Amino acid sequence: MPLFLRFYLERERAILGTITVVFFLCFWEGLTRGWWADLLGPVLGSAAARWRISPIFLSSPTAIARTAIRLFSAGEIWNDLRVSGLEFLLGFVLAIAVGIPAGLAAGWYRRFCFAIEPFLSALNATPRVALLPLIIIWVGIGIWSKVLIVFLGAVVPLCLNALAGVRTTDAKLLRVARSFKAAEGRLFLTIILPSAVPFILTGLRLGVGRAMVGVVVGELYAATAGVGFMITVAGASFQTDKVFVGVVIIALAGVLMIEALARLERRFETWRPKVGAAT
Amino acid sequence: MRTEGQTLYAADVTGVSSLGKFYVEHERGLIGTGAVLTFLLAWEAVTRSRLVDPLFLSSPTLIVRAGYELFAEGTIWRDLRVSGTEFVVGYLMAAGVAIPLGLALGWYRRLYFCLGPFIDVLNAVPRVALLPVIIIWFGIGVWSKIVVVFLGAVIPMLINTFSGVKTTEERFLKVARSFGASELKIFWTIVFPGTVPFIFTGLKYAAGRALLGVVVGELYAATAGIGFLITVSGATFQTDKVFVGILIVTTTGVLVVELLDRLERRFEGWRPKVGSAT
Repeated sequence: MPLFLRFYLERERAILGTITVVFFLCFWEGLTRGWWADLLGPVLGSAAARWRISPIFLSSPTAIARTAIRLFSAGEIWNDLRVSGLEFLLGFVLAIAVGIPAGLAAGWYRRFCFAIEPFLSALNATPRVALLPLIIIWVGIGIWSKVLIVFLGAVVPLCLNALAGVRTTDAKLLRVARSFKAAEGRLFLTIILPSAVPFILTGLRLGVGRAMVGVVVGELYAATAGVGFMITVAGASFQTDKVFVGVVIIALAGVLMIEALARLERRFETWRPKVGAAT
Repeated sequence: MRTEGQTLYAADVTGVSSLGKFYVEHERGLIGTGAVLTFLLAWEAVTRSRLVDPLFLSSPTLIVRAGYELFAEGTIWRDLRVSGTEFVVGYLMAAGVAIPLGLALGWYRRLYFCLGPFIDVLNAVPRVALLPVIIIWFGIGVWSKIVVVFLGAVIPMLINTFSGVKTTEERFLKVARSFGASELKIFWTIVFPGTVPFIFTGLKYAAGRALLGVVVGELYAATAGIGFLITVSGATFQTDKVFVGILIVTTTGVLVVELLDRLERRFEGWRPKVGSAT
């Protein structure tokens, strides 16, 4: 096999991926710069003008990059980043502090689970962002309304997954521990909690996604600062490049966090009880 | 999420009075109903006693009355129709694109290599962040919401269909190939049936995403719809109407997920048991 073919086959995934992404970006850039209109002009005549799209409407990769550099070097974006980050962090930490213990307790105490189950199911079925208008009435348009919406978004998957983690503990292990007269507290700490860890991590990963939706939607809806606020203000004033800078920041934050949690999850994957193969 | 853990708590129902037996047998329903009733009564009491302004918190009876009025006057039907159209059109478009594309992505490796980066990025972005751009592109009418619903729903459908194809039992493929089955036949008789349960899981996740899209899209910019009703009522401090809107959204979510749950259970028998493969 020729050398370059082997090189290609070994890295096919990365190469094909890069090519399509580059192609996509060039196509986009060409739309706003009018490359395609100029190219197709001789063939299509006046219809080629449709291939030239106003930068206000679509922006372009280079315009977005330029705006990003301007925003970061001028420093006006740092405040938005700080506010959004703070909202995310406070809401998520609160959700962890409430959701995971509540889920573990609901898995352990059957009656507690019966009591909170209807509320959890109802909350789970409602897109929590529908509560935004109420939350704004209750806590105003400052950061606390966003902290609350992030909390509500993340707490449900955290709680449900912690609950599922306790519930799927291997019954054999519990029976053995009970036969050897392990105290209930000991049982919980040495058997239930470790086997719930993979589920809790899944909950964290899902919760991060929900929390991001919460921050963004909360700030789109009503805010005075934050990346979502920047996006909505930029959109309303047709600064499409600035909107995309915001979207890219959010995408990067999402990819980084979810990737980190997915790694952590794989690390603990071996702990997960294999439900299917239990004999 | 509600997996069986019932074996952990085998309640002993022998040797108790009939009242006690009734309680133990229906414990789950009784405690759940009790908790919900307590919550509603406490809520009603808090507003009735003027501890908190009803403008601020509303109350269960006020919400019921507002709901009754909205339906009796008939103003709500238009909102329901608009939201329903957005949901159904966006969702069906997503299914129409995602299921064939997901199957193709799973079947043709190179296609996946090409489109994978875009799917990963879209999956990581909360699609609602694109709302301001979508509004610029499609205006504040029905179409911007349809696009948001589509974007929200298409990703989970796509990813699930794709992983359905990818988890096809290797042995089946080997057997079929040994007997010289054509690729087309393998696809339709082995790969596709094995993917169906995954498609349903994707459809179920997507329903939640689509609902989120409708609500957020309408909260953000709209001229009609349930989300629009919620945001207008919120801005004018008609808290009871806000709750009516939220209840409608919740009910829709529960119904759609329940419906898809049933469909999923219907096809559950087809799902390859990954854990117990020997």
